[in-house]
Amino acid sequence: MSAPCMHPSCLLLLLLVVCRHAHTNLVSVTENTTVTTEPPVETLSPITPPVAPLTPLQTGQKSVVLTGENHTEKVEVVNPVTLNLECVWTGDNKRLPNITGYWTKDGKTIESSYSNTQLQNDRYYLRKEFSIMSEEDLGTYSCIFGPKAKVDFILAAPYLGEMRDKPIVSYVGDSVVMICKMDEKKSKPINWNWYKHNGTSKEKIEVDSPGHRYKITKDEKKTKLVVHNLTESDSGVYFCGAVYGIGTSMGHMQLRVITYFEPLKPFLGILVEVLVLVAVILLYEKTGSKKENQSGPEGNPDQTSNLSHGENAVADGHSGTARQRKV
Amino acid sequence: MPPPTTNNLGYTPPDGGWGWVVVLAAFISIGFSYAFPKSLTVYFKEIQEYFGVSYSEIAWVSSVMLASMYAAGPISSVLVNRYGSRPVVMVGGLILSAGMILASLGTSIIHLYLCVGVIGGFGLAFNLQPALTIIGTYFQAKRPLANGLAMTGSPVVLFTLAPLNQFLFDSFGWRGSFLILGAIVLNCCVAGSLMRPVNKMVVFKPKTEPLEVNGAEEASGAEALRSEDSPKSQSCVHRFIDFSLFKHRGFLIYLVGNVVMFFGFFAPIVFLAPYAKHQGIDEYSAAFLLSIFALSDMFIRPATGFIGNTRWIRPKIQYFFAFAVSYNGVCHLLCPLFSGYAGLVVYAIIFGIAFGMVCALLFETLMDLVGAKRFSSAVGLVTIIECAPVLLGPPISGDQYCLHNVAALHQ
Repeated sequence: MSAPCMHPSCLLLLLLVVCRHAHTNLVSVTENTTVTTEPPVETLSPITPPVAPLTPLQTGQKSVVLTGENHTEKVEVVNPVTLNLECVWTGDNKRLPNITGYWTKDGKTIESSYSNTQLQNDRYYLRKEFSIMSEEDLGTYSCIFGPKAKVDFILAAPYLGEMRDKPIVSYVGDSVVMICKMDEKKSKPINWNWYKHNGTSKEKIEVDSPGHRYKITKDEKKTKLVVHNLTESDSGVYFCGAVYGIGTSMGHMQLRVITYFEPLKPFLGILVEVLVLVAVILLYEKTGSKKENQSGPEGNPDQTSNLSHGENAVADGHSGTARQRKV
Repeated sequence: MPPPTTNNLGYTPPDGGWGWVVVLAAFISIGFSYAFPKSLTVYFKEIQEYFGVSYSEIAWVSSVMLASMYAAGPISSVLVNRYGSRPVVMVGGLILSAGMILASLGTSIIHLYLCVGVIGGFGLAFNLQPALTIIGTYFQAKRPLANGLAMTGSPVVLFTLAPLNQFLFDSFGWRGSFLILGAIVLNCCVAGSLMRPVNKMVVFKPKTEPLEVNGAEEASGAEALRSEDSPKSQSCVHRFIDFSLFKHRGFLIYLVGNVVMFFGFFAPIVFLAPYAKHQGIDEYSAAFLLSIFALSDMFIRPATGFIGNTRWIRPKIQYFFAFAVSYNGVCHLLCPLFSGYAGLVVYAIIFGIAFGMVCALLFETLMDLVGAKRFSSAVGLVTIIECAPVLLGPPISGDQYCLHNVAALHQ
């Protein structure tokens, strides 16, 4: 299923990313053509990069004006794109006419990117065009002015919505439902995939695996994995991947499968506690009443003294308890 | 006409001694009754995903439980009239536990409605009514204080159950948690075993004549004595539950007033967090507002009981209750004036005080009106009639909210 990149939604996407940072100047994004990408071809490795599109690419541009020393900009990339990144620096007190600037990707300097920039309109400019074709091209691109100022562009596929960080607990023989969601505001993925971690790598979950235990439902922005007839070996980490033109955005969750004996232990513990307490209370009452019965006639002075104490308390209260009111 | 008695019970309530242990037992029972349905919401999200149902369908579990608890009130009253508080509470604990254990094996949402909702609700009803009734048998002079202390059970148990439920859910998932909750609610049986029937063999010898006449209690007491003189003229039903309460003017006023009040009483709690989020406050701070509300509720209930017991307020406790209800209304009317997070915190505290005052006095005023002897039947009738506004209140308020928002948008 191919997802044509709609003109307004891509525009909206990039604008939304920029608008989040109020202290940067806004961007002008130009779209040239719409793009269709082929769905990922299944090869032996679990995560496959998409096939390079034959039609002309989109181009995009991002510009950031830096007034301080550091800035980070998140850029969401959905499809392969040629991205023009521009850094504008207002400079420091020195105002040197020439400054050396360069670009790095994920911390490593891009050798060919060294350039001298001149002060234009009281600002320094660094521009470079990057071709973002596949998942390897995503990462953190930084432009660095001399030793001082730096702007980080974090290029990534749209992140998944909130995932549960604690393990999901289920029982042997029971079934479990795991859900992955993409935010309403972000673009919808081309496809969803589920993987299970089997010690060393991720293994894709196929729906028609032997036993028919897995069921995967895919809505536009949501996917559900149902596993029936759980066994303890089903415990582990599961990954859901939202497939976009540029790559796959992963989320993970942990499943823990336990037997019914685990909650049974605290259950029995509390049951024993309750039985013991009830027995103690009732026994105490029985022995207490037996003593009263045994000391029957002699108990009356005790009772009357208790009674007079009670009477006094009641009498004291009565001047306050009595009300004057008719029905 | 029999000589006027200072109380129509025919014996002297101890007003202390074992009574305070009974207050502790009532604290536990009332706490579970009110807090248990509310605390189950922690599990709803996972159960909703597991069964693949919508949120409103899962929220019905809480509503069915609450409805069942209120509707089973009269049955509970009949049983208490017949057998006393202790057996009913212990049976209630067992029913509730059985309901939760069966629910942990549930295979469909209907199964949950039946086990948690209906069976669980019955179990809670068998806890609530007897707990309230037994306080009336043990206390007369210090009754408002005892009632206030017992009603504090609700916020305290809620405060304890909420993080406990979260912990159980993280460790055992929803099925295991329901199983363990089934064991935890068996502590209601422990509470029941503490509810020793009061010793009625003590004969009261009046030392001093009461200075003022007991108005309503004496008249209703005389009525009860008269009706006891001619048992054959009564029907079987009248022995079990006292329908003659409907001729009692005070009871009718209380009933009508409560029905009207409960339509709007619980709505602010339901909408406090969404209202805060609407004002732009983040989710955790909005949830924290509810904790502040619960804390102020927790401390004001015993305080209200204590104030209600003082000799200035006790004779006029009905007016104190009326004041608490009006204070509630004023508090909510002023709500729009509170803006910003600090304002909402102040509102949560004031609202907590108002809510706590009303809850602490709710059953004390009923006891004061009808007398301890008929209280058991009265509370059964009141709860089944209150069932409707308690259930319909929040959804109707929600509709109002929708209507007003739609109207505002269209202007």
